[in-house]
Amino acid sequence: MHHAYIDKFAYQDSVVHSLDARVKFIAAVFFTAVVISLPRTSFAILFCYTVGPFAVLVLGRIPLKFVFKQILLVSPFILVFALSCPLYDKTPVKVSFGPSVFQTTVGWMRCCAICGKFVVTMLALIALVSTTRFSNLLAGLRKMGVPKLLIIQLGFLYRYIFVLIDTAQHLLRARAGRTLRNLGPKQEMKTASAMLGSLFIRSIDTAEQISIAMHGRGFNGNWRTISRLKISNNDYIFGVFFVVFIISLYFFASTVLN
Amino acid sequence: MAKTIEIKNFSYKYPDGTVALSDINLSIEEKQKVVLIGPNGAGKSTLMLAMAGFATGQGEIIVKGLKVEKKSLKKIRTVIGCCFENPDDQLFMPTLFDDIAFGPLNMGFNAEQVKIRVTQALRTVGMEAMAEKAPHHLSAGQKRAAAIATVLSMSPEIIALDEPDGSLDPRNREKLVVLLKNLSQTLIIATCNMNFAAAIGDRAVLVDKGRIIADGDAKEIMFDTKLMTEYGLERPAIVA
Repeated sequence: MHHAYIDKFAYQDSVVHSLDARVKFIAAVFFTAVVISLPRTSFAILFCYTVGPFAVLVLGRIPLKFVFKQILLVSPFILVFALSCPLYDKTPVKVSFGPSVFQTTVGWMRCCAICGKFVVTMLALIALVSTTRFSNLLAGLRKMGVPKLLIIQLGFLYRYIFVLIDTAQHLLRARAGRTLRNLGPKQEMKTASAMLGSLFIRSIDTAEQISIAMHGRGFNGNWRTISRLKISNNDYIFGVFFVVFIISLYFFASTVLN
Repeated sequence: MAKTIEIKNFSYKYPDGTVALSDINLSIEEKQKVVLIGPNGAGKSTLMLAMAGFATGQGEIIVKGLKVEKKSLKKIRTVIGCCFENPDDQLFMPTLFDDIAFGPLNMGFNAEQVKIRVTQALRTVGMEAMAEKAPHHLSAGQKRAAAIATVLSMSPEIIALDEPDGSLDPRNREKLVVLLKNLSQTLIIATCNMNFAAAIGDRAVLVDKGRIIADGDAKEIMFDTKLMTEYGLERPAIVA
């Protein structure tokens, strides 16, 4: 079965794909922190920040349609939070946008700031995930000192989420094939719970089989892997570009816009 | 020829009390290609698991002179490499490289030695270019080959494969037959596909209801139409 992998473009070949996962991860985290810390009125400077992730996405040949689809997919979670802002903060405020000045509320300003920052940080996150293989990201996180147990769990999650989805889809298909009339909510609930139970038992079964396979290959509780990550000259160049980009925007914001 | 595996009066019951294996006596010689045949639920997989120490029952199993018991399991699992029915259970790491390196790393090899072993194993199964692939990006045939590579990298003397031909199309099955035929290790293959078994095995062990029904030359057993029909199997279609 084919799935929409979050890192489906991570196996391409480009300059940004070849960068070390650690460098990209640190840059993405730092970029996100900077964007989040921007004042809520700095829409113009927020817009300038989009240049960074866009450049990475373009260099990595990531289709923008895919990027916006991913943003839309996650947006409901943030929209619920953002749209609640105008409800509880109705303090009036005047906003100038070029030559025009209009009146709104602090709540709406906050809502727009949340949405704007969400889009920009999502761009950075998608740029990171779409240009970095998940396995490299995990190896990078491990090298940076993230606990081994968490890395193992993330690795298993990523490896078996698709197997679980496949199994669930097979169950749903088998059910659909035999559902010829509406059975009513009570019966539907009963069927759904039986399917969830079956999925749970199969998961335990799979876990047992994996455990046997691991022990069959000498696993004794110590998780051993070989890291193949290597910092190259391109990583240093990217790092310099990134720092220059952030510093330039900082000075641009503080001198020109303010 | 020297005996690689010797099973004496081995019996095994599932935790719910169902008898899975009953009074099994079997010895396998070095370099033999043994096919464990039998209908579904006959006990073939359990017998394989028992050989690798995953199912402990009554009786005795000796692998390469080592009695299968808790204290010898570490050594036994470097001698016998098990490949399970579902390759998704076998390929649990984020990349193929990590998966194939998993066994050698646990055996205590250093990074350079592991890389050599991974490369050799991938070359044997014809997947050298796929080291960095994630297992969920592989086809069913590739997953099967990759699963075999995960045990080949440990250089086991015995390779036990549970239904390796399951869900493979004829082309991939043929590739697998060629791959398995070319392996120099002792092979133990559990299958209910008689064509596949006949293409690989030089010795067949017919198992049913946890007992060994027949043991001998693969062709003699599998081309015995009466025997095959009696135990819910079929005569292979290929010419003996």
